Amino acid sequence: MCYIWAKEMHSTITDEGVLIFCILVPLLYPLLYSWIYNNEVVRDVPIAVVDLSHSQISREFIRKVDGSPDTKVSYFCNNLDEAKQLVAKQDVKGIIYFPPDFDKKLFRGEQSHVGVYCDMSLMLIYKAIYQTAQAVSQDINSKIQISQSNNYTERDDEITTKPLDFESVEIFNSTGGYGNALIPAIVMLILQQTLLLGIGLAAGTARENNRYQDLVPISRHYNGIFRIVLGKASCHFMIYCVMGAYITLCVPKLFHYTSMVTVPSLLGLMIPYLLSCIFFGMALSCLVRYRENVMLLVVFTSVPLLFMTGISWPQSNIPGVWQGIALLFPSTFGIRGFLRISSMGATLADIKTEYQALWIQVLVYFLVTCIVYRYQINQTRRHAYERMESLKQKAKEAKEKKMAETERKTLAESELE
Amino acid sequence: MPVGVVDEDNTATSREMIRNLDAFQTSHVVAHYPNMNEAREAIQRNEIYAFLLIPKGTTDELYSSRQPKISFYYSNVALLPGSTIFRDLKTISSLGSAHVGAAKLSALGKTSSEIKTFLQPIALDLHMIGNPWTNYNIYLSTAMVPGVLMLFVFLITPYSIGTELKFKRSHEWLNMAGNNIHVAIIGKILPQFLIFLCIFYGYEFYVYYILGFPHPGGIIPILLLGFLTVTACQGFGIFIFGIMPSLRMSMSICSLWSVLSYSTSGTTYPITSMNPMIEAMAQLFPLRHYYMIYQIAIFNGFPLYNCILHIGALLIFSLMPLLSINHIKTAMQKYTYIP
Repeated sequence: MCYIWAKEMHSTITDEGVLIFCILVPLLYPLLYSWIYNNEVVRDVPIAVVDLSHSQISREFIRKVDGSPDTKVSYFCNNLDEAKQLVAKQDVKGIIYFPPDFDKKLFRGEQSHVGVYCDMSLMLIYKAIYQTAQAVSQDINSKIQISQSNNYTERDDEITTKPLDFESVEIFNSTGGYGNALIPAIVMLILQQTLLLGIGLAAGTARENNRYQDLVPISRHYNGIFRIVLGKASCHFMIYCVMGAYITLCVPKLFHYTSMVTVPSLLGLMIPYLLSCIFFGMALSCLVRYRENVMLLVVFTSVPLLFMTGISWPQSNIPGVWQGIALLFPSTFGIRGFLRISSMGATLADIKTEYQALWIQVLVYFLVTCIVYRYQINQTRRHAYERMESLKQKAKEAKEKKMAETERKTLAESELE
Repeated sequence: MPVGVVDEDNTATSREMIRNLDAFQTSHVVAHYPNMNEAREAIQRNEIYAFLLIPKGTTDELYSSRQPKISFYYSNVALLPGSTIFRDLKTISSLGSAHVGAAKLSALGKTSSEIKTFLQPIALDLHMIGNPWTNYNIYLSTAMVPGVLMLFVFLITPYSIGTELKFKRSHEWLNMAGNNIHVAIIGKILPQFLIFLCIFYGYEFYVYYILGFPHPGGIIPILLLGFLTVTACQGFGIFIFGIMPSLRMSMSICSLWSVLSYSTSGTTYPITSMNPMIEAMAQLFPLRHYYMIYQIAIFNGFPLYNCILHIGALLIFSLMPLLSINHIKTAMQKYTYIP
């Protein structure tokens, strides 16, 4: 077992493909992704204003929109067509339009309208424009309400504009940051995918180096199934314990992400997660004939796997079939569990379903791995046996030939005599 | 989406509020919790996304004009449910306010249009251009599915060239092309190109004509975009293989590149909000240009000249193999594959 472990370690470090995927990618990709999403929120979305009313209230509206953190008034246009051209050039993302009778209607005591046109190609930009416009209009509305009602005290004003007060509390991920929402999921997925790639590549190489394209070489060290499986797994597990600690503890610290993990919850989740990924990868690696094929398989699944965890589109709204397929992959539970322990401070008891599912996966994939390795060993033995047989056969033939020749010789000699 | 309720008030008004919340298209009240802590734990257990807290005495204070306060707690860990539920809960509380105001004004004998004007003097007319239903599928399928297709092209192109080296057929391949690497590459790439193009057009046909995704730009940009995307990806794949004529390295680079392109294309998180350096680097990814052309010319239906730079960029990607094609030839003649 130690021999296999040492051998696997050696091949991880010397094989450049495995080195890239097992060491470099887990080290660098989280940093890169964090860098990409480090700004977290969308600020100062440029918008164009078409103000045909030129009134005091419309100007106040514009000032407030400009002053709010999420939007920035970057162009004033004379008509909607002009503003549309700006949207086409992607200089602005939205338009706010004040009709000519905007203030007249207000003073006449009628409802007045402001047009908000949003470019819908990005959800976050739409949200920024729409929420800002709504907040500004509510603010101005309440001012108008106060001026219209006959109140005496400020308390009266408050009650008129807001008989029912409400507050909204974002209990988790309170900044609404995009990076905070996405990065924990991405780093967990990186762990799984690089493990699958690394194990698959190593297996592919082993096969290509082998004379009969078998996974398991012939050697007296490679006799027991458990020895092989546990030896290989312990090598990957050791490397990935370091990687896992780096990804779950150092990366959030470096980029100031929310991280509310506790030692028991992190250990309780990460150990089954890594183990299930390793055994899943080893079971999968038997399918790999050539080392490069594994890349086609694994890289392609990354994005669907990310969506199946319910990080983007809510889990409760994913069709049942996909939820079922998602159960097969360790990343589904790993990401769900990790998001909850790191962003919501959940305890191990709160993620019971997740870690139990992961342990079940560990068991199932361990058994599957043992079965496929057993098959592989048998195949190796068969190949070895066939080879030996054919060697024996050859030796026999050669012997017979020699015998025949000597016989012929002796026959010829005797004839000569 | 599942939400919870902590109703400490238990009156007709509070129950009406809860019923209203339940009636919304996006929220579904699944559970009542006796106190806040239990509701918070339910969020941590992923049972609900948000909850509404109605404290004791809300109705009393509402009718005696003492401005009660209700709160809603929501989790932003998953952004889309967070913001959708936030909108619903906000509407609920605004409706609650408006309900009281309307009752008061109608008691004073105001007409309904007067009440409406008083409650909301300035109304917003929201025009969600292109996607008025905020259909999430339109966001997702127009960027992620092409991304996956492009990833395939990215990987298969160097794979198909590299396997010639791997199985030691490279000399035979070059001889068939009369030792002309251009002929060899074109001969290899052309059938793949046709297959990929069919797949891409098939995908576009499916989303635009069968699913009916908005495409006011019409058929010309759709066809042009499909063509350019496939050639750009193949060009990029050949170029990378030319730089690193080893099957493993070129495929690794292509896969790392294409996985990154999901983020740098700016389809979910806008690129203008990223670090300026990343913003510049994003131009090196074909998916970014695909996305820009899609959203300018197809989704918003503006004329093609608005995205001329992105079309140019995709053309450059398509022509990039010219830089490294000679290197492929030397590689094919000299290198041998080491497993």
